[in-house]
Formats: sequence, C-alpha cells, structure tokens
Amino acid sequence: MKTGNVANPSRRKFIQGAAATAGSLVVAFNIPFTKDAGAQITTDEINAWVVVKPNDTVIVRIARSEMGQGSLTGLAQLVAEELECDWAKVTTEYPTPGQSLERKRPWGSFGTGGSQGIRGSQDYVRKGGAIARMMLVQAAADEWKVPVAECTVDKGIVSHATSKRSTSYGKVAAAAAKLTPPTDVKLKDPKEWKLAGKRLARLDTVDKTTGAQIYGMDLKLPGMLNAAVIDCPVFGGKVKNVDDAAALKMPGVKRVLRVGESAVVVVADTWWRAKTALDAVKIEWDEGPNAKASSAAFAEVLKAGLDAKDAVVGASIGDAPAALAGAVRKIEAVYSYPHQNHVCMETMNATVRYTPERCEVWVATQNGEAAHAATAEASGLAPNKCEVFKLHLGGGFGRRGATDYIRQAVAIAKQMPGIPVKMIWSREEDMAQGRFHPVTQCKLVAGLDDKGEITALHMRISGQSILAGLAPQSIRDGKDPVVFQGLNITGAETAIGYSFPNLLVDHAMRNPHVPPGFWRGVNLNQNAIYLESFIDEIAAATKQDPLALRRKLMSKHPKHLAVLEAVASRVGWDKPAPKGIFRGLAQTMGFGSYVAACAEISISGDGVLKIHRIVAATDCGHAVNPQQIEAQVEGSFVYGLSAALYQECTVKDGRIEQTNFHNYPSMRLADMPAVETIVMPSGGFWGGVGEPTIAVAAPAVLNAIFAATGKRIRDLPLKNHSLKA
Amino acid sequence: MQSRRTFVKAGVGIAVSVLVQPSAVLAQSDSLAAVVREYAGTALLREGRVKINIAPLVDNGNSVPIEVTVESPMTVADHVVGIALFNEKNPQRDVAQFTLGPHAGRARVATRIRLATTQKLVAVAKMSDGTCWTHAVDVLVTLAACIEE
Amino acid sequence: MARTLITVPSTARRDEVIEIRVLIQHPMETGYRRSSEGEMMARNLIRRFTCRFEEDGKAGNGVPVFSAMLYAAVSANPFLTFHARATASGAFVFSWDGDNGFSQSERTGIEVT
Repeated sequence: MKTGNVANPSRRKFIQGAAATAGSLVVAFNIPFTKDAGAQITTDEINAWVVVKPNDTVIVRIARSEMGQGSLTGLAQLVAEELECDWAKVTTEYPTPGQSLERKRPWGSFGTGGSQGIRGSQDYVRKGGAIARMMLVQAAADEWKVPVAECTVDKGIVSHATSKRSTSYGKVAAAAAKLTPPTDVKLKDPKEWKLAGKRLARLDTVDKTTGAQIYGMDLKLPGMLNAAVIDCPVFGGKVKNVDDAAALKMPGVKRVLRVGESAVVVVADTWWRAKTALDAVKIEWDEGPNAKASSAAFAEVLKAGLDAKDAVVGASIGDAPAALAGAVRKIEAVYSYPHQNHVCMETMNATVRYTPERCEVWVATQNGEAAHAATAEASGLAPNKCEVFKLHLGGGFGRRGATDYIRQAVAIAKQMPGIPVKMIWSREEDMAQGRFHPVTQCKLVAGLDDKGEITALHMRISGQSILAGLAPQSIRDGKDPVVFQGLNITGAETAIGYSFPNLLVDHAMRNPHVPPGFWRGVNLNQNAIYLESFIDEIAAATKQDPLALRRKLMSKHPKHLAVLEAVASRVGWDKPAPKGIFRGLAQTMGFGSYVAACAEISISGDGVLKIHRIVAATDCGHAVNPQQIEAQVEGSFVYGLSAALYQECTVKDGRIEQTNFHNYPSMRLADMPAVETIVMPSGGFWGGVGEPTIAVAAPAVLNAIFAATGKRIRDLPLKNHSLKA
Repeated sequence: MQSRRTFVKAGVGIAVSVLVQPSAVLAQSDSLAAVVREYAGTALLREGRVKINIAPLVDNGNSVPIEVTVESPMTVADHVVGIALFNEKNPQRDVAQFTLGPHAGRARVATRIRLATTQKLVAVAKMSDGTCWTHAVDVLVTLAACIEE
Repeated sequence: MARTLITVPSTARRDEVIEIRVLIQHPMETGYRRSSEGEMMARNLIRRFTCRFEEDGKAGNGVPVFSAMLYAAVSANPFLTFHARATASGAFVFSWDGDNGFSQSERTGIEVT
C-alpha cells in the first residue's frame, strides 16, 4: 500500500523554476512544494479529515507528527474504522500549519508530545471519519433516491440490499463533498472495532526498510546550499572574535555568517565542505557567566536543597514531618539522576527558503504549529506569509518539540534571501546544544512503626525545573507541577500507586544554567527510580518480599496493582528464579497509563551485568494497534536501559563533556534483552503509550541488581559502578 | 458549511488576512469579566471601534508584540480617554492600562507582553463621551502543547 | 541608570501626528519565579510610564500626552509605541517609576514648524 513518502524532487523534476513560492495548500506527502498538488487534491475532500479519489484511494489527514512511534498508522486506523473504507486503499498526508491557520484549525493541535498522539486526538479524528462516512453513504442514497437508513457500507462499498445496487466511495465522493456535514455523530463502541484494535502493519515500515523514506536531513532542493553551525558551547556565552580568512578560501564555501550573538555559520555547496570550513574558522568565545559551571558544583547546590526549609509542596497527606519525628524507626536514602540528551539518530536540521515576501521551512518537527509560529517570529513575517512542510523525524523524543534549531535555520536563510539553505547540526553540535533532561536529587525518608509498617514518607526532590527554563511565565507561586509526575495523589494523567497514612512530596527548585527540555518520559523517569528503588529498600529493611509489600500498599490502587500482578504472574515471581538469575520489579503511572515491569538479570563474577529478559505490562485504557504498542514498549526499554546503563551528560568548565556515541553510548544488539509486553487495556479511559514504560526500565534493573548483589545503587548510569562481588 | 473552494488560494498575491478570530466579549473566566466590568464602570460594553492586532499563534509567549488601535478623531470633543488590556490565564488579569487624551493625536499603542498559555485577550477603550468599546481575541501559544496536554 | 532607547522625530509640522517609541532596560521580574538557588525572586516591575510635553517658553509641568500603568504581563525591557500631536517646539519628557524606588527620566527635544 502506498505510504506517505517525500520524494527527492530533483529526481522527479517537480520544481518549476525558482518561482515555486506559491506552495500548494494541500500538501501531498510526496510532492510538498509543487504548485499542482493543491488543485488535484482539494476537489476530492469530503471533509478536513478525509479525501476520497475517484479510484477509491482514501487519504487520511494527520496533524500530529510521525516520529517512529506509529501514531501516523494508529490515527489512520481510527479514522478508517469509522469511515468504513478499504484499509488496503488508505494512505495519509500532512496538512500544513499554514493551511490549519487559514482554515481555523480544523485538525486541532499539531503538537506531538506527552504521549498524546492517539489519546489527544482519538475523539475528533474518529468523528471526522464518521462524518465523512455519513456523507458518502448519504450521497449514494441520494443518487438512488432511497432512504439512507436502508443503505449499508463495508470496505468502501455502499449497498442497498432491497434494490440490489451498490457503488463505491470513489464514485460518490464528488457528490458527498457538496453535502452539509451532519452534526449528530455516534461513534462505534470499541467492542465493534474491525480495524482499530488490530495488529495491522504500519503504513510507513516498507519505505523505512528500503531506504525510500525521506527524513528532514535527506531533503534536496534545486539550488540548495548547506550550512554547518557552531553555537557557543558554554550556555550564555557569546562570540568575541571570529577569524574566517582561511575558511573563506576553502572550496565550495559561499559565506561565513553569524546568528545572534553566539553562533557562527559556514554556508557552502555541500555540508561536508561547510563543516570542514567551519572547523577552520578561528573563534574566540566570551564564555560568559557560566564559564566555570560544573556538574560537581550543581551537585553541591542540589544537595543543599535536600534539606532546605523552603520547598514547594506537590503532594501532601496528613502530616509527614510530624509522623517522621515520632517514628520508631526511620529509613533514609539519597538518590540522584543526571542530565540526559535525546540523541535522536537524525541530528537537528531544517531547510529554509526566505524572501521578504515568504518564508518556507522544511523540517522534522514534533509540532508543526510551533514551527510555524517560530518561523514567523524568526523571519519577521506574518504567519500567513510563512509555511512549514513537515518531514519524517529520525527520532523526536521531545527534542523536536523545541524550535531553537528552526529559528537558527531561518536566521541563516534570512541572510541569503531566495536561496534554500539546509542547516544540519553535527553530532557534536547536537550533543552540546541539547535541551537536556533536568538534573535532580531526591532524599526519601520513611517512618516505620514498631510492626515495621510505614507510617509516613517524605520525598524531597531538589533540582531543575523544565518549565522554569522554557516558559517561566507559566510558573505560578514558584511551583512547576511537571516535577511531580508519578507522585500526585490522584489524577487521570499521573498518580502515585501507593497509600501512605502521611505523605509529603516537595520540591526545592534549583536551576543550573543548562537549558532543560522534555526528554522521553520526562520526570516520571527519575521519580519512578527514586520511589520504586526506595520501596524495595523498605522491603529489604523490613524483611518483606518486594511484591508482598507493594500489594499491601497498593490495595486501594487496583489499576496500578493489576499491571504489577500481570508482570509478576508472567515471570513466575512466586517461584524461584533459575540459578544465577535475579529479578526486580517496578510500577508507575504516568501519561494516563499504568505500567509495570520485571527485569531478570545476572551478574558475572567480574561484575558484568547481563539483562536477560524484561516482562512489561501496560494498561493504556484502549489499544488501537497492539503490535505498535509492543513496539513502543520495546523501544522505550531501549531508551530507558541505554540511559540506565551508559548515559549521563556532565558539565565541566561550563560545557557538556559528552560529544558523541563513544562517550554517550547506546544499547547495542548484544546488550538488549528480550522484551515481552502484556497489553492489557481495561477500557474506560485513553492512556498514552510512547512514554510511560520507559520509567520502569531503570528501577526494575536496579532492584534486580540489589537482589543479585545486595548492593543498592542510588545514582546512574551503572557504568560508573562496579558490580563485582 | 464552509466552502471547500475557499482555501484553494496559493500564497503569493492573495491577501488573506489571517488574524485572530474575534470571540465573545465576556470570556469564560469570571475574573476576566470582573476586571473588564470594573474598568468600564457603569458604561455599556460594545464590540467595535477598538482592535487588537497580535499574531494568531505564538511559539513561546515570553515576548509577544501586540498593538491596539481605536478609531477616533482624537479631538478635544471626541477622543479616547483610556485603553485597558486584560488577559484570561496569566497569574494576574491586568496587562497594561494606557491613558490618552487629545494630545495623543492617534489612538494606537503597541507593546510586548507575556502570555503564560493559550488564552483570550480583551482590550477595552473608554471614550470621552463615556462609551466603552471592546475587542477580544484568542492567541494560541504552541509551547503550551507540551505543558498542558 | 537603565539604558533607554527613544525614537522621536527631531522635527515635525504643526498638527502632525508623530509616532514615539521608547524602550527601557529592565527585567520586569514578576515575583513568581525562583532563582537558580531556589529563592523567590522578588517582584521588581516598572509600574508606571508617563510622557509629557513641555512647550518652549511655557512654564509649568507640561501637558500629559500619554501614560501607561504596567503589570507583570509586560515583557522584560518594556517597549512602548504611542503617538503625539506636534503642536509647538519643545521637549517630550519621559518618566518611568517602579518597585524598589526605581525612577528615571529622559527628555527629547522636537522642533515644530
């Protein structure tokens, strides 16, 4: 089946000269900048969501961004389910944010983050499909002059049994397009689903495996130049002096430019030449106020925050400090979690063509509207003079929700009007200019009574706030609610799975100069490490089985407990593990879903860790594509275990020390365990899939390591620790 | 039903003014309605004459250019006395209050403001004849997508 | 003294309406944020801006042209554009007042023919 595929236009000769500024309003995936596409597609639009061609091909419009998480296919399944078309004839296309603005946002939000792609869209995309179906069937009924109630539809064929007539969607599409869309729409009960809920193959897999898939970095436009850039590696620093004499003489170099006060750019005919010349530019930096900053210094500040009097409360039950003061016994531990980089396989890039009349951007972005707004702001042109063409992402994970690299590319292209300029960051630049997962420490204190029951828990988080860094105007009363993911007392989005008679979770905000961002799983990652490890510490200190203790604490949290029980049952927790194999459990709830995992590991005499098996369970309410959910769970363990085993971003002399995959490694095939996923949607809500399970990866392994060695590891990554007996 | 053909207009040369969609004067939030009412006093609030000009979508919200214009001859007999700008979802409703007079010559003010999130903005213009005019717009702050959702 | 950037035409015709742009360097600290050390950063705002016109040869405080009350929602380095009718030669006097006793005044002359 045809997939959305951005073709290389120079191979297909689609560009009709330099005046291709018109930009089609309805953008077919494979011809994003040709004048023709608009006219040919719009005549077949049933509504904003569905285009039906005379040959019965169905094009589903998708507003969110596909970044490997499979939402493109999942959303198309949801629309096609209600549309009752032939799945084999379904393909997708991305409307542009410019079209969205002009049509007053018929597709809703373009933002792809927070594991919202399916759950944030499912209601209205299904309605879009249902409305289109109703119009198509009505058109057939009108043509036959029969009551619409007597018509049925299946796989795009409308039938009228009584008169033994049938027609296909393609034949009635033009007439359907003229009808008034109905407002009273009834959606199918998920129990009736025929397409949604099925393990359908993804629409984009084939192109990815054949290499036909075009990512942002692959794009080639006629007359395009390439830009390599370096921004001051110390955040807050500036360029003091630039000597570009040697670079300007190098082959292919067109310009040496500046962006803002801190970035130097070389534009050349090829990216390699631009990068080589950039390396030859002598830059003197004024490293600014953060020149001496270091992770060691941050750690001291964060440590002090653990005992600071002033902290913002995130969750409170009873009076934990008082209960702790009077506790018979206390257990205390301090944990930490480092800065992390997203390390998308495709580094940050964007292609921009600027003229004083129009600014066009081709970019892999998680938020087309944010990219559009950023383009308008950076170019100085009104939004209706700007357009963004979304390309496939070679990884997003939250990094591509930021618009910094888009603004930078626009600022470069603005200095070279009329010429398309593709800006690509080297891996080193991408490592240095991340939007980092925030650094935190956590002090946990539990109070026990004389029977060893928990009477109180105080979790003090000390560390960086993402919102304070990105959008300080959204912080009220000094509180960043995102800090408390996984630890709220109640909530449909995220809630703690344990009952404590007294609980206090508070945050002492301490913001290092490192720019923060949303990293897959966000703060659920370290909050699950902190709490799940500590629950195991309490279990060990009170000589309880970790699952038995959890069952006691989770009796009022049936959904949290259900995923944990599913994992424990699958792994055979109540039976001894094979010799040399040790197990660890973890559970959490975030991004609307309940997740749990068990890790089975072994540690060799030399202290080499081997993770043999992960069993994970997810209750995401509804499952649109179970195969894709499993793939996302597996992927989140790749991401989470890579971080737990190998990854940290440390700062020395103001700059990030990690520069490439040799000092910021990822899991290899040999490291990766088998992951068994139990998809157990309990219905009644819509939870996210992309992120929640990443949070149980590290704590399950850490708890297994304790079971194996008796060693409690409280800071990551594991490569910093010896696991030798 | 929105015509399917209306959006088939390629970018160059078509002056599609894509400004924000005006919305009802009194917004959902009670406190916004209250501050608007407090500023207007007993005067009837009418839509018109005053216009907010702001980008319909904004990336970050930390520094958003905004312009407010009021149709008025700005004579001694007939002029704008004041313009107030209010928001819906920042920690505080007030944005700014401007005092003008016949010496201002033209009732057009611009500044840069902070928007915590996607929200409504309301401008209220007080005239020398005691009448009050309003305009409300919605601004989409795309960063909010990461935070709110 | 905070840096200011003031744009006023140096000459104008009588009764012409001119555009005036002013910018002053100031953090406009909202009072909602915390520092990197976790301390609440106290509110520090410019609360009020006024523009008066003092005609050459006329005594007194001048005539009010435009004033603004500013709140936390105004961005850092508050920037204002407004208009004035040029009636006679003289000077525009701009004043900013705010928290922590902040007070600053600037003057720009204009010749009106």
